[in-house]
Amino acid sequence: MIRLSLLQLRAQAITAAVAVSAFAVLLAATGPHLASMYAASGLHGCRPANCSQLASNFLQQVDSTGPYATVSPLSIALIAFTPAVIGLFWGAPLIARELETGTFDLAWSQSVTRTRWLAVKLAVGGLAAMTITEALSLLFTWWAAPLNRAVGQGGSGNSLAMNQFNPLAFATHGITPLGYAAFAFALGVTVGAVIRHTGPAMAVTLAIFAAVQIAMPLWIRPNLLPASHTTSTITDDTPSSLRRTDSPHIITYTLAAGGLPGQPEAWIQSSGATDTKGHPVSTVLPSACSAARGSGSSEDLAKCLTSQGIRLGVTYQPASRYWPLQGAETGIFLVLSLVLIGYCFRRISRLP
Amino acid sequence: MNSRRMGMLEVGERLPTAQQVVAELAINPNTVHKAYRELEREGLVRARPGLGTFVIRVPSGVDPAARSRFLAELTGWLRSARAAGLGPDDIEAIYRTGLRSCFAERVA
Amino acid sequence: MSAVIETSGLGRQYRRKWALRDCTLAIPEGHVVGLVGPNGAGKTTLLRLAAGMLAPTCGAITVLGDRPGAGPAELAQIGFVAQDTPVYVRMTVADHLRLGGWLNPGWDDALARQRIGQLGLDSKQRAGSLSGGQRAQLALTLALAKRPGLLILDEPLASLDPLARREFLQVLMEAVAAQGLSVVLSSHLVADLQRVCDYLIVLVASRVQIAGEVSDLLDSHHRLSGPLREPRSLPASQKVITESHTDKQSRLLIRTDEPVLDPSWTVKPISLEDLVLAYMSPVGNNAPAKPQALRVVS
Repeated sequence: MIRLSLLQLRAQAITAAVAVSAFAVLLAATGPHLASMYAASGLHGCRPANCSQLASNFLQQVDSTGPYATVSPLSIALIAFTPAVIGLFWGAPLIARELETGTFDLAWSQSVTRTRWLAVKLAVGGLAAMTITEALSLLFTWWAAPLNRAVGQGGSGNSLAMNQFNPLAFATHGITPLGYAAFAFALGVTVGAVIRHTGPAMAVTLAIFAAVQIAMPLWIRPNLLPASHTTSTITDDTPSSLRRTDSPHIITYTLAAGGLPGQPEAWIQSSGATDTKGHPVSTVLPSACSAARGSGSSEDLAKCLTSQGIRLGVTYQPASRYWPLQGAETGIFLVLSLVLIGYCFRRISRLP
Repeated sequence: MNSRRMGMLEVGERLPTAQQVVAELAINPNTVHKAYRELEREGLVRARPGLGTFVIRVPSGVDPAARSRFLAELTGWLRSARAAGLGPDDIEAIYRTGLRSCFAERVA
Repeated sequence: MSAVIETSGLGRQYRRKWALRDCTLAIPEGHVVGLVGPNGAGKTTLLRLAAGMLAPTCGAITVLGDRPGAGPAELAQIGFVAQDTPVYVRMTVADHLRLGGWLNPGWDDALARQRIGQLGLDSKQRAGSLSGGQRAQLALTLALAKRPGLLILDEPLASLDPLARREFLQVLMEAVAAQGLSVVLSSHLVADLQRVCDYLIVLVASRVQIAGEVSDLLDSHHRLSGPLREPRSLPASQKVITESHTDKQSRLLIRTDEPVLDPSWTVKPISLEDLVLAYMSPVGNNAPAKPQALRVVS
């Protein structure tokens, strides 16, 4: 049964092997040079005062030389799309095509029960899916290590500088790709078993998977673990903006945290104006600060807001939450996969 | 069976196996088995387990003179029946009824 | 002789419609069974129930003593070829044989290869590019090489040309003679079945109309024609199946185990095809309202 599953996955396996090999070659060709650039940047063992600037310089250098600025987003796209492709081309046809073409009459009248047939096909396909996706992710993590280290040392300034909690980074590093691959595969198989036709099954699988992949970073991940709160003094470095509303005398302002001092790898979930205790306050500019506004100086504005008792409040997840969140999210997707698979087994034994 | 009666097979020859017959004719093997058993009952063949079924006696056939006598009698009967107004279907029906009751012991 | 298929009150319902009901049969083994009936009569349903591909709604069925499809051992006893002989179009003939070997512990690879060779099929050819007759032969080979005790074929001849039909039946009969297996095949063409079947089941409107050995059925049914006669005046041992009357004449199809001695009747035998037609006609088959919905000749 294992050999039959492999035989039936032949075409998909070849495509996957080609893609992974090409990807590995690309990364192997460009990775070492990236590492040597990092070594030459002086970031290793840099003094804390310098690190942030050196890191930003390094990132700028990488962005402007060579192919790195394309390899990175390309890799991210590949790893992000792989689970969806697996769900569509490995998962959806697994049961649906057999039902569509009538070959299930051939497959299920051999000396193997339907349960065993499905179990082995799911195991072979699911393991392969998870292995391939995770391999891509590990390759990319190895390749991007210098960049990630630079960000951890305070570097910023271009699209290569991604915080580890950035949705694209979070989805392509660590163990989350495992969970996505398993879920996409299980989803594809289940949708195929319900809809019984490959084409529509692929479309529905894609729609559901995309919806989940959007919902997770937007609404679910931020609420998986309780967030931390802190307030800090508004300085002239604090990004802010003033806005005139329709009513002539009302100006509103917004504050945003560019980062947390000393915690460059934390996840800023939200930030804004709060009082000294951390409770949000009105964002109507106090009349006392109109003069500061008029002067056009951000330092004056900052001093004025501070004197009014306004602080920058930040809701965040500390960097140490990275692995717990990775684990929780992967766990959720694995559990969902198991539930879907359980349903598949029931469905398949009822089919006439 | 017809070729047997026409004497195409000689004593000692082996009949084709049921498998060979059905592979050629696409008929039910049980039909062949029944036919071979019938021949064995009539004493024309003998089945040797593992070796096959062999011809042991060729039917003597009906004496040609007797054949012509029966044909002449039948022709006379047919003429009378036709004169009496019976058509071919009626005659066939009568024939079948008579045939069935005559050979009834064999059928059961 | 033990039964290859035994059913008791077997029925299968789809949503509101009964595809098969009140089916009670005891089919002896070692026969080639023909299942005849019009389209939609329930033939495919009965075959799929026997193959273990479908579960009954009510009643019971055993095949070779076991519940069909219950587990690997039960699946191994039955070879099933569905309508339109499905094959994996992108897999080669050789791949299909490998599939058979991997999925069947009782697989006879030598037999499979020998048959493919005899059929002249190219091992490397994709199954999707085979002709209809070749596909049917491939499907038959796969079913035979697992060495089942019972072979179930759903309308195997329907889309084959006459030559392909003849070749299919030749291969099938040879396998029956060689392996001693039982076969159940369905068709709505009686002429095809006449050559090969020695047991007949007529299925009309989801009910069994008649079932029995062909020789017994032909011996016990007679066509009577004679002067106008009230069917009720016939002896009780003679069951009227179909009847038609003019002012002066009556023609009946009767079933009886005793000889017809009444001289006023002209008695003729009936062909298998006419017998099936008689049971398939609205006059000949039983309306569902009647309690006796089946006839079994063992």
